[in-house]
Amino acid sequence: MSMSVLRRVLLSPGLLILAVLVVAPITLMALESLRPFVGGRAGGTTGWTLRNYTELTQPAYAYYFWDTFRIGFIASAAALLLATPLAWQAARTTQPALRVLIFGLLISLLFMSLIAKLYAIQMTFGPTGPFAALGTLIGVPARSPQYAQVQVFIGLLHFVLPLATLMMIGTFQNISPRLEEAASSLGAPRWSVALSVTLPLAVPGLLAAFMIVFAACISNFVVPLILGRGVVLFATNLMYTRFSDIADYPSGAAIGVIMLVLAGTMVYAMTAIVRRLVPADVQR
Amino acid sequence: MNRLSRRMLLRDLGAAGLSGFAPFTGIDGALAAQGEQLLVVMWGAAWIEVCRKIAEVYSAKTGDSVAWELHAGGAMAIVAKMKPLWPHVSYNLVSGWDPVFRAMIREDWVLPVSLDEMPALKDIPPAFFQKNDKGELVSVPLSTSGAFWGYRTDLVDSPVESIEQLLEPRFKGKLCVPFPVNLTGLLMLTLAVQRGGNERNIEPGWQFLKELASKGQIGRVINNNSEFIDSMSSGETSVAFFNIGAWTTVRKRFPVKILSRLKDNKGYLFNEGFAVIKNDDPRKVAAAKAFANYFATPAINEQYNWPLGEGPTNPNARANPDVADVFYSPQELTQYAYIPDYEYMSSQVDAWAKRWEQEITPLIRRA
Repeated sequence: MSMSVLRRVLLSPGLLILAVLVVAPITLMALESLRPFVGGRAGGTTGWTLRNYTELTQPAYAYYFWDTFRIGFIASAAALLLATPLAWQAARTTQPALRVLIFGLLISLLFMSLIAKLYAIQMTFGPTGPFAALGTLIGVPARSPQYAQVQVFIGLLHFVLPLATLMMIGTFQNISPRLEEAASSLGAPRWSVALSVTLPLAVPGLLAAFMIVFAACISNFVVPLILGRGVVLFATNLMYTRFSDIADYPSGAAIGVIMLVLAGTMVYAMTAIVRRLVPADVQR
Repeated sequence: MNRLSRRMLLRDLGAAGLSGFAPFTGIDGALAAQGEQLLVVMWGAAWIEVCRKIAEVYSAKTGDSVAWELHAGGAMAIVAKMKPLWPHVSYNLVSGWDPVFRAMIREDWVLPVSLDEMPALKDIPPAFFQKNDKGELVSVPLSTSGAFWGYRTDLVDSPVESIEQLLEPRFKGKLCVPFPVNLTGLLMLTLAVQRGGNERNIEPGWQFLKELASKGQIGRVINNNSEFIDSMSSGETSVAFFNIGAWTTVRKRFPVKILSRLKDNKGYLFNEGFAVIKNDDPRKVAAAKAFANYFATPAINEQYNWPLGEGPTNPNARANPDVADVFYSPQELTQYAYIPDYEYMSSQVDAWAKRWEQEITPLIRRA
């Protein structure tokens, strides 16, 4: 048996599982999105229609998609910004106690129930919480719908910060500290070493971490549900309402397909930008 | 000394796993201790608490055991959940209310019930039952309930006598309202009634809602009982339109005025209860009907409704005096109560939910 045949044989179980678990549901969802829906019934009926897509061309829906990607993007960027120094510290520190403390904190945050975290945020930063004045400080009254966006941002940040930090620790551990030491021994100040040596080498890891936390943010359902006060709705919330509350599967499926296309386009665009900005040897 | 072999371990794990999954797969027989095992869908909060107590006593008497599954969000969600699984659904009884029953009847999932099989139903007024196209009874009504406007008197400085007052600046950000899928759009109906409309002439309701949204009066849009209780209990909002069961929970902790006798609006009544779901196993069906019948007997109907703050459907059961002021005497019914056409309303919910997303949420966001 030649190597290529052997490779195909070995790959086939994985490909089969991938087809059954990923491709089949997405294909069925795409087909369902083209079915007509009759109010009061459950699920799509026979026939084909584009109505589920055309109704999403209403300007209001652009806001829901915009909110999903905008708040998700800001939360992901903030998470990376906060995670990078923390991860660098955890990877480079010579004090084992500090490393244990950082890992312990991150893993505790990961294991803590998300629902408990969200209600804690609501009790603390919500309109009747002790830190509701945060809204006044940033010029957004605590009872306003805009403040609900701030709460959703805080919730998402809580959700993805430990993930981002743990991923970035791996990235920094894979960068040899000798490169930084070499730059320092040649007289480069620490900030210059960080910006010209460590950061460029960490870009692929940063990008991977960003994509994962961004995907986690835009596909999040619970955070906007609990902290959005019914006025900040992500595309996931719209989908849930359709699938679960009114059994309008075709419309929910259409939103799912659009989200898939938009998220895929964004990932492709970000990867393309990084390819242009980062030298090929660093990418490898 | 017994040694644990791999085969023994697999056998024990398999048995444990199968018994855990039995309610979902319909596997019973040797694994069930005795009697039938029923899977019943119920609401959370006060509903499941009282049901567990009732079921414990029932199981001890009959040997039938009950596994509970909770509604996720509004009760209508169960229809969406059952649709892709049908006919492989293991639920024997589903708790719901009029629009949910209508949706399940349209899908032909519900078994008829008869007074011969379920003698406790003989006492219940015929008007409370849902019927199918053949005129057969297809619901087991357990509670008379309703949705009402109300407010926390400790957070509102002067009484509310008409919901037109909700446009006043003092209510900015203080209103808690359900998303149209919740209560099958009763919010739209009450607002429409306020401006001379009804369920088939809902446009005045949308106009009123737009006024409320654009003035920034809506502080919270809720999807379920828990969110309502959370919002009203925390004081985030102080005025709301919601079902009496959730209001009763808030009333236990805070001073609340339920506006069930408004001069220019109504209280919106409905029935809650069980639907018996079709099943190939006649023993399961018989056990499910017996369990539902038990809930309809006077003593249990009273025990069930008392903590929920809902009215019993069995006339021989007493109503909780704490909510007696909310419900109506027969003379008051025509003046203050409204029983909507839920069949029609449930057919409109999809369109109303989308209209809310397109027209109301953007106004709330901009206010």
